[in-house]
Amino acid sequence: MRLTTEHQPLSLRQRLILVLMTPLILILAASSIFDYQLAKRTANRAHDQALADNVYDLAAHLKRQLPSRTLDLTEEAEAMLRSNAPDMLYFSVIDAFGKLLAGDADLPSMAFPKDDRVEFSDGIYRGEPVRMASHRIDSHGQDYQIVVLETTEKRRQASARILTAMIVPNLAVVLATLLAVIFGVRQGLLPLHAVECDIAGRSANDLHEIELSGTPSEIRPMLGRLNELFAQVRESVGVQQRFIADAAHQLRTPLAGLQTQLDLANAEGVFSVSPERFQAIDEASARLGHLLSQLLTYARAETSCSLKEQSEVVDLGLLVENSASLFLDAALAKHIDLGFDIAPARARGFPWMLLEALSNLIDNALRYSPDGGTVTVHCGNDNGQPFLGVEDSGPGIPEEHVRHVFERFYRIPGSPGHGCGLGLAIVQEIAELHDARLVFLPMSLGGLHVRIVFPQISEER
Amino acid sequence: MRILIVEDDSLVAHGLKQGLQQLGYTCDVAHSAEEAEVCVADEVFDITLVDISLPKADGLSFIRKLRSRGNSLPALVLTASGSMDDTVRGLDAGADDYMIKPYRLPEVAARIRALIRRSNAISDACLRHDGLCLDSRSHTATLDGQELELTNREWAILEMLLMASPAVISKDKLVQRLAGWDKDITPNAIEVHLSRLRQKLSSGSIVIRTVRGIGYRVDAPDN
Repeated sequence: MRLTTEHQPLSLRQRLILVLMTPLILILAASSIFDYQLAKRTANRAHDQALADNVYDLAAHLKRQLPSRTLDLTEEAEAMLRSNAPDMLYFSVIDAFGKLLAGDADLPSMAFPKDDRVEFSDGIYRGEPVRMASHRIDSHGQDYQIVVLETTEKRRQASARILTAMIVPNLAVVLATLLAVIFGVRQGLLPLHAVECDIAGRSANDLHEIELSGTPSEIRPMLGRLNELFAQVRESVGVQQRFIADAAHQLRTPLAGLQTQLDLANAEGVFSVSPERFQAIDEASARLGHLLSQLLTYARAETSCSLKEQSEVVDLGLLVENSASLFLDAALAKHIDLGFDIAPARARGFPWMLLEALSNLIDNALRYSPDGGTVTVHCGNDNGQPFLGVEDSGPGIPEEHVRHVFERFYRIPGSPGHGCGLGLAIVQEIAELHDARLVFLPMSLGGLHVRIVFPQISEER
Repeated sequence: MRILIVEDDSLVAHGLKQGLQQLGYTCDVAHSAEEAEVCVADEVFDITLVDISLPKADGLSFIRKLRSRGNSLPALVLTASGSMDDTVRGLDAGADDYMIKPYRLPEVAARIRALIRRSNAISDACLRHDGLCLDSRSHTATLDGQELELTNREWAILEMLLMASPAVISKDKLVQRLAGWDKDITPNAIEVHLSRLRQKLSSGSIVIRTVRGIGYRVDAPDN
C-alpha cells in the first residue's frame, strides 16, 4: 500500500537528475555568456577598424583641400562615405574653434582629440544607436576634428549571428546531456527498481527472503536487515502455527470425549425421560465442534500465507470429486439433489485449503437450501481462468447483507441452521491467499451462486 | 472382532471402548505407542484406532513399525490437528483411513466396519455387503444366499463400488478399470452395465446411487 502525502519528497531519480543538471546548466550558461561577449568584442574591433579606415580616407581627402575655408567634397567622396550599406555613415569636419567646415551640423559633439589616434565612443543619433569615431588632423599649423558616425545595423546583425551560432550548439549540448543524465540515472537505478518490484509485488504475508546477489552494495545492509525481519516474522508465524496445532489438540480431544460420553449416555437410555434435552446438548456440542474446526481452519489459513512458495498445481476436478463423498450423506439426509458439473481445470494453491473453501460453500448451500432442494458444484475454466463454484436453490443473500457476509461471525438475521458465521469469511480468506476473486453470479437455481475465480495458472513457477 | 485403541486421553479412550463394546466389539486400550507395540506383539487384533499425538513416540511411528514388520493390521488414525499434512503423513505411514476429532460414535463404527470389510476382502477373498457376497476365489456372487449371475464387467464395477463404499466412484474411474477388457468402453456403456446391475440386485437392500455429474456409490450398509 502506498501512502500519498501532499508534499511528496523527491524521488531518488528526480533528486539525482536535479543535482546533476542544475550545475551543468549553470556552467553551460556562464560559459555561453563569456563566449558571446568575447566573440562580440572581436567582431566590434573589426568593425571599428573598418570605421577607422573610413576616417583615414576622409582625412586624406580633406588634407588635400585644406586650409581652404570652405571644403568642397566631391560627390564621389560623399557617395563613398554614404554607401556603407546596410549602415549609414555621417560625418562632420570642424576646426579648433568649433566651426563646421563640411558634413552634417547636427552630429553629437565629441571631445576634441588630444592626439592623432582615432577615438571611438557610442551614442544616439536621430533616435538610433550609433558608433562614433573622432580623429584630429593638422594641416598648415591648424587642428581639425573629423567625426564619423556609423549606424550599428552591421554590428547588430553580427551579434545576432554570433548569438545564433553559440546558442544552437549549446542548447544541443544541454539537451544531449539531459538525455544522457536521465538515461544514466535510470540505468544506474535499475537494480534498485528490481528490488522495489520484488518487495512491492509481494502480498502482505509473503515473507520469503530477498535475493541479495545482484543487488547494489549500497542497499545490501538494508536488505539484509529486512531479511532478518522477515526471518523473525516467519519464525513467529511458525510459533503461532504450532500454538494453533496444540490448541486444536487440546480443545478437540476433550470435545471428542464429551460427545462420546453423550452418545453413550443416550444409548444407555439416560435421556429417555426428556429426549429433547439430549437433542439440545447434542446440537450444542455439534455446533461447538463445527465452530472449533472453522476457527482453526480460519487461523491456519491466515498463518499459511507465508508458505506461499509451497503451493502446488491442484486438479480442481479431483477436488470436487473428493468433496462428493464428503457431502453426499448430508445431502441425502435433507433430500437435496447434490450434483456436480466437472470440466477439467487446474489452479495453483494448497489442496487442503481449497477443499476447505469448497467444503464451506457446499456446507452453506446444503444448510440454507430447503428440503428437497438442489445444489450443484461446478469447476472448470472461464476465459482461461479456473474456477470452483457452488449454486443452490436456497433463499440467496438479500442485497443489504451482501457486503457483510464476509465479516467474521456475521450471520444474516433470522437465517436457519446453526452456522457460526465464519464460513464465507474462511472462503474469502482462502481466496485472497490464492489471489482469487469471489464472485456472486446470476442465480439459475433461484438461490446463491458463488464462484471462486483463480488467476490463470503459470506452469513454469 | 477385537479392537486395539491407542489413545492417551483416558476420557476419549474409555468413551470409545464403552461405545464400541456396546456395538459388540472387544476393546483393549493402550495409552502409549510403546504399550501398543507390546499388545500387538502378544495378541491378535482385527483393527486398531490410533491417536497421532501420544506421550513419547507418536501414533504414526507405531503404524510405521507395524508395517515394517509386515503386519497389515488395519489402522484408523484419529487426529486432532485436522490438517491435511497430518492426514497425508498418516496415510503415507501406512494408515488405512483417518478421522478428525471430534467424531461421533456412529461415524467411528461405520469406518471400522468399512475397514474390516476391506481387510476381509483381502484376507478371505470375500467381499460382503448387506447380504451380498463376492467371492473372488470361486468367482461366485450370492445375494441373500442365492447365486447371482454377473458378467465380468458387472463384477468389476460392483467390486470397485463395494470396496470404495461409502465413497463416490467417478464414471471415469470405472471406465479406466474396464479399459483392460474393453479398450473403447464409453461412459454410456457404463450406464448400461449399471442399470443391469441394479436390476440383478433389486431383490436385496443394496442401493447403488447415481451421483449427478460424477458417478455412483453404494450406500454404507447401515444407511
